[in-house]
Amino acid sequence: MTVKSSNIVPTKTDQRSAISAPSSGNYFKAVSAVVWKDLQAEFRSRELFSAMLVFSLLIILIFNFALELDIKTRQSVTAGVLWATFAFAGTLGLNRSMTIEKDRGCLDGLLLAPVDRSAIYFGKVISNLVFMLLVEIIVLPVYSVLYNINLFQPGLLLVILLGSIGYAGVGTLLAAMSVQTRTRDILLPILLFPVIIPVLLAAVKASSGFLDGAAFSDILLPLNILIAYDIIFISVAFMFFENIVEE
Amino acid sequence: MFLQEPTPDTSGYMIAGYAIAFLVMALYVFSMYLRTRNLNQDIAMLEEMDKPAAPAETTQPKPRPKKAAKVVTKRAG
Amino acid sequence: MQPKPVLLKILDGLAVILLGVATYFALVKAPTEQVMGQVQRVFYFHIGTAWTALLGFLFAAVLSLVFLFTRNLKWDRFQVAAIEVSLVFFFITIVLGSIWARPAWNTWWTWDPRLTTAAITELIYIAYFMLRQGIDDPDRRARFGAVYALIGGISAPITFFAIRLYRTIHPVVIAGGNPEAQGGFSMTPSMLNAMFVALIAFTVIFIDLYWNRIRLGNLEDKVEQLKLKVML
Repeated sequence: MTVKSSNIVPTKTDQRSAISAPSSGNYFKAVSAVVWKDLQAEFRSRELFSAMLVFSLLIILIFNFALELDIKTRQSVTAGVLWATFAFAGTLGLNRSMTIEKDRGCLDGLLLAPVDRSAIYFGKVISNLVFMLLVEIIVLPVYSVLYNINLFQPGLLLVILLGSIGYAGVGTLLAAMSVQTRTRDILLPILLFPVIIPVLLAAVKASSGFLDGAAFSDILLPLNILIAYDIIFISVAFMFFENIVEE
Repeated sequence: MFLQEPTPDTSGYMIAGYAIAFLVMALYVFSMYLRTRNLNQDIAMLEEMDKPAAPAETTQPKPRPKKAAKVVTKRAG
Repeated sequence: MQPKPVLLKILDGLAVILLGVATYFALVKAPTEQVMGQVQRVFYFHIGTAWTALLGFLFAAVLSLVFLFTRNLKWDRFQVAAIEVSLVFFFITIVLGSIWARPAWNTWWTWDPRLTTAAITELIYIAYFMLRQGIDDPDRRARFGAVYALIGGISAPITFFAIRLYRTIHPVVIAGGNPEAQGGFSMTPSMLNAMFVALIAFTVIFIDLYWNRIRLGNLEDKVEQLKLKVML
């Protein structure tokens, strides 16, 4: 597969030279090269971030009308609304992130480098995770203001982190697949949502636990499910990612 | 447990359940039959298209009428 | 097309006979349950299809691993067949479960762990086929299918246990446990008999449909190869 020279952006040459010499330190270099490339590209264009953010705010708006609730009931659905928002906005980010990769030929360039395929996987997961977390960090204060709830509790932030990790871990793998099919973008939610249910389940349960001030012993179980899910699925994705991107 | 209520007549639901189970299975078997038949027709057609090309590699492939007649009898047989 | 092996023809016949036997046991020989009446009889087919479908999905996940390590496309054909038949059986399971729920608890659907996980699992394997449909290259299709079947196969049990544990923290009206506890009926020996007959029957029917489906897959493969040959 030839790499068109017009597709090579300055950052890509730097990254390829950084990972061209074969050594074990290369793995970390490769991962950070992928992450750095994505962050730099996004910093310049901000298209992904702004789209995800606006989309999230619109979803919250829709929920406001969809679930016309009094103040008390609203409190109990906060966790659910938040995670539904993150789940939908997340697909936007994942799709765009992988589509850019494919369209610009960056993926092919990366694949030419003599480094383990899983480095690309981890790099993409981290960059997707960063985008998700950035959006979530902005959505939280907006939601807090709109509904007069303090969402900046450490427990909740931990759950959001763990849930986003699981979501990005599985989502990156599935997005890498869906972007290579004929149906592309449309397929990702169909593939992702049934498989991500344990994350949503545990995250909502743990989030509402923290928000309602439930006993920690109650919250521990969903937290454990989240952690277990993250570990299991990132391991599986790590093991099988190369099957997705070979030519 | 106080008064034993008479067993409700839920046989309507039971019939619906079994009907659906049999129907779905029958539909599936039928779909497999249809697909098999279509694939066999495809294979017959593709083999017919393929045959003229194979023996004469230097000449251009031409569909021969005699071959078509042979295939028809094969299909009927 | 290769003629049907004699063993398969026998299996076809056996499957039909066993289906009849299972129906007879479920509808005639088994006693009528007292609390909910005749509708309880759907339980036998519900269990029969559920058990075989779940094993089918599990088998498919194992086949994923086999394919990914051997890269022999025949394992992919085996997987497609397993998932397709399991999908059909599991659909029957879900519908029968819903029909049973209606007179028993006056609702067409309950969000209990088993039925919810069943719906999610069904959606996972429908997604599996949608994924495959969008890929033309057979090798890529097989690889992607294998990875997704593996992911789905791991996710579904986790979902089940997650929902189950979730419910035990906050007890709900309908306890998620074994069907006996849910339906609120205890099984007499003759009911157990009918259940085992159904299990055996559906296992044979599954294997029969599975084998036939594999043959269909072989035909599909032959057509694809011929198409490539003719196009070139």
